[in-house]
This record gives sequence, structure tokens and C-alpha cells, in this order.
Amino acid sequence: MTTTTAPAPATAAPGRGPLRGLPWVVWRRHRTFLRAALLLTLVGCAVFLYQRMGVMDFLHGKGAPPEGNEKLLTEFRSRFGSTFESDMEYLRYVPLVVGVFLGAPLIAREQEHGTLKLVTTQSVSRSRWLAATLGLPLAVAVGCSALLSAVFTWVWTPVHGMDVNGDWLTGGAFESTGPVPAARALFLAACGIALGMLIKRVVPAMAATAFVALATSLVWERFRGRLGTVRSITYPYNGNGPDLPFDAARFDDWVATADGRLYGFGTCVSTDSGADHACRAKLGIVNRVIQYFDYEQMAGMQWLGAAVLVALAAVVLAFVVWRTRRRPL
Amino acid sequence: MSDDPSPWAIEAAGLGKKYRRGWALRDCSFRLPAGRICALVGPNGAGKSTFLGTATRLVTPTTGTLRLFGVPVTDPAVMARTAFLAQDKPLYPRFTVAEMLRLGRELNPRWDQALAERVVRSGNVPLTARIGTLSGGQRTRVAFALAFGKRPDLLLLDEPMADLDPLARHELSGLLMAEAAEHGTTVLMSSHLVSEMEEMCDYLLLLAEGRLRMAGPTDALVPAHMLVTGVASGDDGVPEELRQQHTVVESRVTGRQFSALIRPGGPLSDSWEALVPSMEEVLLAYLRSPGAPDLIAGEARLDASGEVAA
Repeated sequence: MTTTTAPAPATAAPGRGPLRGLPWVVWRRHRTFLRAALLLTLVGCAVFLYQRMGVMDFLHGKGAPPEGNEKLLTEFRSRFGSTFESDMEYLRYVPLVVGVFLGAPLIAREQEHGTLKLVTTQSVSRSRWLAATLGLPLAVAVGCSALLSAVFTWVWTPVHGMDVNGDWLTGGAFESTGPVPAARALFLAACGIALGMLIKRVVPAMAATAFVALATSLVWERFRGRLGTVRSITYPYNGNGPDLPFDAARFDDWVATADGRLYGFGTCVSTDSGADHACRAKLGIVNRVIQYFDYEQMAGMQWLGAAVLVALAAVVLAFVVWRTRRRPL
Repeated sequence: MSDDPSPWAIEAAGLGKKYRRGWALRDCSFRLPAGRICALVGPNGAGKSTFLGTATRLVTPTTGTLRLFGVPVTDPAVMARTAFLAQDKPLYPRFTVAEMLRLGRELNPRWDQALAERVVRSGNVPLTARIGTLSGGQRTRVAFALAFGKRPDLLLLDEPMADLDPLARHELSGLLMAEAAEHGTTVLMSSHLVSEMEEMCDYLLLLAEGRLRMAGPTDALVPAHMLVTGVASGDDGVPEELRQQHTVVESRVTGRQFSALIRPGGPLSDSWEALVPSMEEVLLAYLRSPGAPDLIAGEARLDASGEVAA
């Protein structure tokens, strides 16, 4: 399948395959998962490549810029909408799978089966063992996520303004393109490894990792809007709003007073229009405000978010290393 | 081994390990000469596995130090010189036997593939079989092959024979003795099967409740004791004379007779009948009498005065 998957020798024939020493042991131990990961990555990339051809054909065939062309947009969405949706779904689950099925059992399985006693009493030091045990699977997981994400980004970028109304922030594109999938995979894998090391049982560690993944994704959803400086457009309360750039991500809507004080969008909205009017007059609400992020902000926000995740992962992994050095597992 | 400056395979000084529940091993000091086959005996929970853990760097001692062949156990260099067979014989269930041996080869610079394969083949364990499909005895054999193949100077075995049938037990014991003799390997194996240890081992460590009760060569420890029987006298049946001149390890009174296991401090009175006890009798006497004084033979004693006393 790839150059790294040397078929396991049926008899002990030395010198087969490119891997030697500890990396071979780690590869062999996680062979099933790592092979599946490489296979799924290749399949994913092939599928994305095929989609890219379809998308480019569509764009060239129509020959028109997509902005403002409602007919073209509708046609695009009916043809590619569900595909992109499932692509993004797939890419958003990759980090979860990495954390639960690779991270959590990585050390916990060795502890649960006692094989830690076997592998740490051979002639290699515990820190070298830990480096290989963490390094190889994390490298494969991050590499695969990064590759998938890069290929999908390449498919998605030409049509970023047409897909899901151009809302790249909440529509799923933010988590499934650029550096974010790889950073999330690294972060959740690190969490899984640490939880597995502390819990020492595979299944509870997997459950705990899934829970942490859920909790952090909720935090992430609240937090991602702060990764960039939000831009806003103010217009009169009863006026027609200006059109946002077609590829901007609408973030929030407000009502505001003349001096810029913001109230929630639902302020002074009820069934009684007279009362609403009086309420607005009392508070001084005269404007509406749209907050949004421009598409040009997306990459910066993604890299900032990825940097935060990588920093957190580094802290968690440092804890794992510190603990294994301080005392045997 | 000849280039080895230290004649001691193990030197423990004040070694102790405290867990949350209390001390699993306390103030353990002894040394084991290289080339010996040593039995580490004691009841369950005596601290045998904890001691083996400290020697294999799986357990960090709370107090004291441990040196293997003169090198502190904290130095990673000792890892290549020791092999450890854990009690539950952990192996990767999805590996084949051949892959398990390859693991040994990849992780150990002194690996002896021919020896490891011979150990596996002599038990008719197919190299292509997955570990998970093997029987308990076959798995133990593969674990043995991994330990032997490492070509250790010190082989640490935790209850190695516990799950083997008598035939495999006999065969692997023979293999163990032959390998140890051929390569001059020091072997330390824990067990609670005293009778079995007696024929294999020439050195003994007795642990009880985390304390070292007895240490030394078997040919010095066992003959240092006498099993004495005679007519009961005195308050508790044991004659005062016996107590004063000899060290009483354990005594028992049945009717007008007493019997006692003693360490003679001089010639015995003719009014008593004296027998040479078996190793098992000596060990059991010590285990039953936590208050009896410990016996660390001079050779096993760590301090310089011990050497003189020997």
C-alpha cells in the first residue's frame, strides 16, 4: 500500500522492511490502525481529487463569476451541496477518531495487558520508548489529517463563496480546511494519550476521550469567533441592510443606539408593534448592526486557532513525558 | 562476565518501597554473588514482586539503593544486562511468535536469535502462530525465549513456573539450569513453591511482610539450624538452657514433648534429640515466627564486618 507497510515476515527473516528497532515495534503494534489510517487517507484524497475535477468542470462550463448569480448558486448547491457537507462531516470526525481509537489506547492498552512491563524492560531506555510510542503514531495521524485537509482545501477554495452561503465560520469549513483538522487531531490524540495513561484501562479511556472531544468542541464553537477581529456594518433600523461580501461569514446581529451601544437582536420585539416602538424610543435604538468576518480573515483565524490547539497539545504531551520520567507507569 | 569488575550481581542497601497502603518492602540489605541461582521465597504479598520491580526499574524505591554488577539500577546501562519475566508473562496477543522474537532482536543489542528459536521450537510452538492462540504453557515458553534470547547477565523471574504442567516445568527448569550454567548467568527467581526451589537453587532470600528474613547460600543457611526435640520443662515447655545457649526460631509443645527449630550457639545437650531440618522446615519456621531474629549469612551481608564474620 505504501512504502512503510512491510508485510510482516512469516518467519523471522532479518532485514525486511525499512523500519528497525523501536519504530518497527511501534509500527507493528499499531499496524491495523495505521494501515487503515493510510488507506482511508488515500481513499479520501482520491475522492477529493475526483470532486475537484467535477467542481472545476462546473466552474469552467458556466464561465460566469458565481457572485450574485442566484441561478448558478442554486445549481451548484443542488449538485455539490450534499457532497461538501459530507466531506466536511468526515473531516470533522477524523480528529475524534484519532483521539479515541489511537490516542486513548496508546499507553492504556500496554498498561492494561501488562505489556508495558515487557517493552520497558528490554534494552532501550524508557524515554526512547516513549519518544517512539508517541512520535510515530502522532506523526502518521497528523500527517494524514494534514494531507486530507490540504486536498480538501484545494477542492473547496475555488468555490468557497458558493458553498453554504459562503458561511465558512459555522458551516463546517473552518474546522475541515487548512491547519485546523491536523491541529485538532494532535490535540485530541494528546488528550487521549494522557487520559489513557491516567485511567490505565482502554475502554474507559476511550469514553473519557470522546467526552473531552465533545466538551472541547463546544468550547471551540464559542471560542472560534474570538480568533479574529470582528467587522461590523451599521445601518438604519428600518432600512434595507447592505449586502455583505458574498464570501463573508455572518457572525452576529444586533440593534444599536446612535452612539453605538449594542442590544440583542430580539430587544423590543414582540407582537405589539406600538409597544415595540415605544420600547425602542426609550432605549434609543435607531440602528441595526451586522457583525461578520471577511473571507480574507479566515486563514489567519485558522492558523491562530491551530496554534492554540498545538500549544495545548504540547502542554498535555509534556505532562505525559514528565510523568513517565518522574515515575514508572 | 570475566571483564566484570564487580563480583556481586545484586547489592541492595536499605532498599524500601512505600505504597499508599504501607511499606511493601522495608530496609532490605543484602548482596548476591554473580553466577548463583537464587530463590526469592516468601508468602503472597511479602514484597517479592516489588523487589523484582525495583531491579527492573519498574518500581522506583522510596529508600535505599540497588546496584546490579556494581552499576546503580538508575543507570540505563543495566537494562541490557538484565532480563525480566513478569508473573503474568505479558506478550502482544496479535504478534506472531516470530514477530515476538523479532521484538527481542530489535530492542536488544546482545540478542541471540538461534537460542530463542531453539527454546521456542523445543516446545513445538510454531513460529507463525499468533500469541493469542497459544496455550498458557506455550506462551510461557515464548516469554522464556525472549528472556533467554536477550543473553542477560542477570535473569529475574517472577513465579516463572506457576502456570506450567509438570512436564513443561521440568523441561523449562532443565533449560534454565543448562543456560545459566553455560553462560554463567545469575538467576533470581521468586516462588512460593519451596520444595521445587530446593533442588534448583544454591542461594536463598526469604522475604516476609516486606522484610528480609534470611539471605545466604543454602548450604550455609540450612545446616545452621537444628530441629531439637526433648522433654518439656520450664514455663512454656522449652528448657531454659536451650534458650540461653542457642537461638530459638520456633518452638512447639505437644504433651510432655517440646520441639524447636534452633540456631545452635554451641554443642547441644545429649538429653535432646537433634535432627537436621529440611529447607522447607527452616523456611516455614521463619515464616511462622515473625519475631524470630533474622539470619543474613556473612556472604550475603553488605557491611564490611559481615565479610570478616563469615
